[in-house]
Amino acid sequence: MEFKSCFDIIGPIMVGPSSSHTAGVVSIGNFIYELLGGPPGYASITLYDSFSETHSGHGTDKALVGGMLGMRTNDSNIKSAVEFANKQGLNFDIQLQDYCPYFSHPNTVKVEAERHEYKIIAGGVSLGGGLSKIFLLNEKIVDIPISANDNVSTLVQSYTSYVKRQTSLGGSYED
Amino acid sequence: MKIESMKELLQRCEEKGKTISEVMLDMEVENSGKTRETLIDKMTARLQQMKNTIELGIQDKSSSPSGISGGDAVRVDEYVKKETILSGNYIGDAMRFSIATSESNAKMGIIVATPTAGAAGVLPGILFSLHKNDNTPFETLVEGLFTASALGYVIANRSFISGAAGGCQAEVGSATAMAAGAIVELKGGSPEQAVHAAAIALKSLLGLVCDPVAGLVEVPCIKRNVMGTSIAFSAADLSLAGVKSRIPCDEVIKAMYDIGSEMPRTLKETALGGLAATETGQQVKERMYKKKGGF
Repeated sequence: MEFKSCFDIIGPIMVGPSSSHTAGVVSIGNFIYELLGGPPGYASITLYDSFSETHSGHGTDKALVGGMLGMRTNDSNIKSAVEFANKQGLNFDIQLQDYCPYFSHPNTVKVEAERHEYKIIAGGVSLGGGLSKIFLLNEKIVDIPISANDNVSTLVQSYTSYVKRQTSLGGSYED
Repeated sequence: MKIESMKELLQRCEEKGKTISEVMLDMEVENSGKTRETLIDKMTARLQQMKNTIELGIQDKSSSPSGISGGDAVRVDEYVKKETILSGNYIGDAMRFSIATSESNAKMGIIVATPTAGAAGVLPGILFSLHKNDNTPFETLVEGLFTASALGYVIANRSFISGAAGGCQAEVGSATAMAAGAIVELKGGSPEQAVHAAAIALKSLLGLVCDPVAGLVEVPCIKRNVMGTSIAFSAADLSLAGVKSRIPCDEVIKAMYDIGSEMPRTLKETALGGLAATETGQQVKERMYKKKGGF
């Protein structure tokens, strides 16, 4: 009995067009936003596999950026997330790769995000039905499920130690 | 508490002398520990979102980001309002509300997954058609959502509801079965009639593959949502007339599961077969690949 509630069938309220390629991705972006305590100033995004092929049609990039700006899965501003990113000083670039080396799934993404002197690398997978999972934090494989109804700001409290302070030289980090 | 089959659902309705909607709400109260009022409010918020989506979608002439859908909701709306339409008022209104919802979904609008985003147009279509044509009040439509959720809950746990898992029969098929049952209960039919309507609706969509052009939730998904509403009304009418499904609903659901399990991978949302593999479908996909990173 995988489906337990009437709201698993009627819901979630979410941004279209795809629970896996759009809605679930907002949660991954949102995790990064909450972990950094606000929107990053810079994000280097790598979309893998299915995401790299259909991200424009599904708005996967907008969903991720919207999440990193603090939007949730039911925010109607997600479709304008790129404009909001420009206004709010979130610069990002997107690389496309065929296969994710960290996690075997077609709907995977990796983000290297910086906010002031802090930095985090996060890998996320969108599993369908709006359910996502963070599988990578910096170099460490993790397993952090996120659903559309979760309170992400509470969820990240256990993982703040992963956020590294960036030193001025050489791109190495210290706690 | 859980309900594992349509048979069990009907037994529960009979024992308690309650509708499917009431039985589902009782179960949700018991399982969640929340009050009826809280749960009804939560469902009402979903109905309200459906209404908002329709209102935005029905006047939005813009194209989707891919350019392969958009603008048809306005066309259907104008036609339905102007002409005496062949399908009649109930189906006509359901068609325009449904297409407005599914087009919005393709354009990154906010929708309610029922049971998925790809099938999100069917239930709003039939509910707001009943609202318009019967003056069915909002509170009653919310009851219809509980009815639909009970039917979807049984289907989802006995079979599947995503195109990737079981083809479009699992997605628009499930949504249409849920819609047919909800119409019957909203029109005063018995729980048994609601389940027969669900079975009849699902039977007529068995075998439907998931073959979206370029993997996008647009072609043929949007129009299949619209067609789902007319099948839902026809199935509801048959059942309200006293027609029964000769195959019990639980067995129809099992058949859907078996068919979906045997369905080749090319026809389960991979965009490798069916309409996605047509000449035009391929052209759209190639255009996407060429412009990897933007349409």
